[in-house]
Amino acid sequence: MPPWSDFEPFIVSGLALGGVYALSGVGLVVLYRATGVLYLAFGAVGAMGALIAWSLGRAGAPGWVTWLACIAVAALITLGYGALFGPALSKRDPLVKAVATIGLTLILYGLMDLLWTTSGGAVRSLTLPTDNGGFSIGQIQVDWTQVIALAAGVVITVGTGAFLRYTKLGTAMRAMANDREITATLGVPVRKVEAAAWLGCGALAGIAGLLLADLVALDATTLTFLVISTLAAVLIARLRSITVTFVAAIVVGLLHDLLTPITSLTNYRDMTPFVLAAVALLVMPRRQVMAQSREEA
Amino acid sequence: MRDTLIRATPRRVRQETSRPQLIRAAVVTVLLLFTLFALPQILSLYYIDTMTQVAVYSMVTLALGVLAGRVGLVSLGQVAVLAIGAWVAARLLFETTQPYPLILVEAGLITMAAGVLIGLPALRLRGLYLALITLMFAGAITVVLATVNFPNGGHGFTGYNGSLVHIPPVRRPSIASSDPAYFRYSVIVAILMFLLVLAHIKTRPGRAWAAIRQSEPAALAAGINTWLYKLWAFALASFITGVAGGVLAGAVHYLYSIDFPTQDSITLLAVTLMGGVYSMWGAVVAALLYQFLPALLNNWGVSADWLIILFGLGVLQVLTTAPAGLADQVPKDLARLGRLLRGRLRRPAPGSTE
Repeated sequence: MPPWSDFEPFIVSGLALGGVYALSGVGLVVLYRATGVLYLAFGAVGAMGALIAWSLGRAGAPGWVTWLACIAVAALITLGYGALFGPALSKRDPLVKAVATIGLTLILYGLMDLLWTTSGGAVRSLTLPTDNGGFSIGQIQVDWTQVIALAAGVVITVGTGAFLRYTKLGTAMRAMANDREITATLGVPVRKVEAAAWLGCGALAGIAGLLLADLVALDATTLTFLVISTLAAVLIARLRSITVTFVAAIVVGLLHDLLTPITSLTNYRDMTPFVLAAVALLVMPRRQVMAQSREEA
Repeated sequence: MRDTLIRATPRRVRQETSRPQLIRAAVVTVLLLFTLFALPQILSLYYIDTMTQVAVYSMVTLALGVLAGRVGLVSLGQVAVLAIGAWVAARLLFETTQPYPLILVEAGLITMAAGVLIGLPALRLRGLYLALITLMFAGAITVVLATVNFPNGGHGFTGYNGSLVHIPPVRRPSIASSDPAYFRYSVIVAILMFLLVLAHIKTRPGRAWAAIRQSEPAALAAGINTWLYKLWAFALASFITGVAGGVLAGAVHYLYSIDFPTQDSITLLAVTLMGGVYSMWGAVVAALLYQFLPALLNNWGVSADWLIILFGLGVLQVLTTAPAGLADQVPKDLARLGRLLRGRLRRPAPGSTE
């Protein structure tokens, strides 16, 4: 077991990673509750936004323009997908809706690999100006990006919680999570509420893509499939509670990074989200046993 | 009630053995003979290797198709299962001198045991959770494989020796050491797996799966042990994929963990859906999409990324308009085209899809 001081830097990076997972997880849960779609393209749209931001930066656009572009691209792709395929698939099984987003993932992934090719070993990086500044707690260096990542996780979780509880749109989303048909009958503009959920989730995907491109790597494959780690947190929360999602995401991020200095486990640290999710599913109550009848697989 | 439901079906099916079925059997026989004897003669070595891969992956897509089309379960981790099969087979092939078919069966059974262990808890959950847990599982296997590596003739449990200079190839059966012979061997193994699935579909498990797919509560009410039959399907799919892994090990000779990335599981599901999950032809179409098309495009110098985009569009199209996939749609479209060509335009042509 390495000394405690070896772990200290990884607490900070773990919390930062956990913060991004948390805001991603909250986006996924809110969209799932409002529309019944588990958005597996979350990572891919974020990656698309980040790569476009990188290209804009290379073309000489100022930093804030590229960041906004990243978020806007992710939000618009997500909204577009929701507007096109949301209504067409609205009556289908959640499984079908989730698999359909795999279609979007593949399209975006193919496009990214085509436009920002990595063959020939091209390496890109996206650095935010907040990487340079920072402060230290004892021996640990903390940069502002890490602070922003964790803060964004907290703010988004609390903000979304308040939004769902206190605003009219949030109430409508919660109503739709309960029963779409009845909500529509009560005069809630279902399509508009869904569009808001898609847009919000897409914007969060953009923010997550931007932060992860800086914290982890700007690489289409990595960013696209980092969503799997977020999915673990969402699974632990059973696609329901945003509070549990937040806690699970922080635990996933923290545990993942804290395993790094332990030599016997460091190669296996990427398994953290999977192992945590599997354990969580094992202890899941049997209430959810009965599957709904479905039209098609 | 339950007995009438279950026993009434086969009698009716048997009575319907008629001309179309005979024609279909004849077509299948001719196609198989062509594949086994003519194809290795006319293809270059490049395409023979490609077609061996098609045979291997047709088993994997068959397994995925059984899960998705017959039972309504979706696995997002089938490449990991394939990797387990390949790993076990390679380990056994290096360690023992057992005949190849025996090793294929063993690889299938061990993979099946692993699949059942994963499926056991997940099958009690709803479909979406099963899909996600298989995705998690695929991710975890990828991580483990990257560290453990595939056996390369070393010793110990992992059979991996990082300091080996001359890595021995995974052996092939003595009767099929050349590439064309191994292609035939792979096709025959694939045929046996298709027959295994056919035997399931035509009998009790197939009817239970059909009931579960329609409505799980109704199947439960009809006295079907839904959990058992879902697990059965999962075990069968794992077995077939494990056998495919064993065939793959001999086909490529050298196995690397980098060849089994998590994203391939997702692409595989996409092509399986595109090929069509309600017919066994779909599995063949899917394997051609997955292995033959990239080889063809590679030969033409076109980026494989276009295919990924195509697969993505294909999934969306299948899920929104044509749930039975290409295996169902292409014959319909061809028939429609044929009618148009024959000038039978007196009546408006019926819709090509649904």
